[in-house]
Amino acid sequence: MREKLDFLTELGNIGASYATTALSKMLHDAKLKLTVPQSRILSFSEAANYIPDPEEVVVCVYMRMVDIFDANIAFILPMNSALALAGFLTSEKSEHLTDLGQSALLEVGNIMLSSYLTALSMISGAKLKPAVPAIAVDMNGAIWESILADAGITDFVTVLETHFSTEQIELSGHLFFIPDHDLYEFLSSKVSGFLLEEST
Amino acid sequence: MNEIFVNMGQIGVIKNSGVLVTVGLGSCVGVSLYDPSTKVGALAHVFLAKSRGNADSELLPGKYADTAIPALVDLAVKAGANRDRFEAKIAGGAHLFENTKPDMPSVGQRNVEAVIEQLHKHRIPITGKDVLGKRGRKMSLFVDTGIVIVTSIGQQPIQI
Repeated sequence: MREKLDFLTELGNIGASYATTALSKMLHDAKLKLTVPQSRILSFSEAANYIPDPEEVVVCVYMRMVDIFDANIAFILPMNSALALAGFLTSEKSEHLTDLGQSALLEVGNIMLSSYLTALSMISGAKLKPAVPAIAVDMNGAIWESILADAGITDFVTVLETHFSTEQIELSGHLFFIPDHDLYEFLSSKVSGFLLEEST
Repeated sequence: MNEIFVNMGQIGVIKNSGVLVTVGLGSCVGVSLYDPSTKVGALAHVFLAKSRGNADSELLPGKYADTAIPALVDLAVKAGANRDRFEAKIAGGAHLFENTKPDMPSVGQRNVEAVIEQLHKHRIPITGKDVLGKRGRKMSLFVDTGIVIVTSIGQQPIQI
């Protein structure tokens, strides 16, 4: 199990690197710091307690893929970061997230999430086609549970989470990747192949 | 004031004074039961509509509408409530990501319909609701008065 999770962590690392490289380009090559991703298998009760401040207002760009595998992927920014990023991208200065700012964030999120999925597909061979992205500005808890409910989580949920930040602008955020059971099994079945390759 | 937070899939019950709060209702539905004669209040945070025989519904009946309502009634009755005096209020069932087409109907809508169906089945009148739409909600039941307050970001709190 630990081996599988380590392998997933590595996949998450590569996915997040692709996603943040895409973000960095849009920020005129700003340096982005990435934490080592965490991959966890959470029980439903753990998932219910996963968000530290469920009332915090955040901006979330979200994709739900329904294909051979189902997966949910989200890019979440606290409000101050969302405003900083939207301000940088649109040159608009506003204390509120404008329609223009929101569509800029949707587009950035779209590019980041698509890059993440492309990287994951390339490494694992799993077909992960990016879906139409959606955006919401709401309470973190409401967003989190809506994503879990969309995914139809009933018992356990696999969560790959990466935190990133940059000092170029005041920006920090999270990337979440939530594969369904079949995709988790598929991705983690690749671990033995990779270990064999490494040992030869 | 005694404040009890009811997390996703959970049920809380208190008597006489205090407040039951559930935060971060997106597509989930908060269901409160209140008996004004005994001042017993109970609140569930329902995640999905149907348990479909999942074993976890026994451990966490509040998770599904079809197991949450019977469990909510039982808990409130055990706390001293009179079954015939229940008033129910519901909030939630939103579709947050409005620019994508939800599954038809959306998870939130299915949750709301399932909760209403269960309340009808138990002959409990629904005296207040704030459901569907696109905004997440916080729901608080004040047990000394039976008042339920619903808040969403960027909106004035409303009493239902």
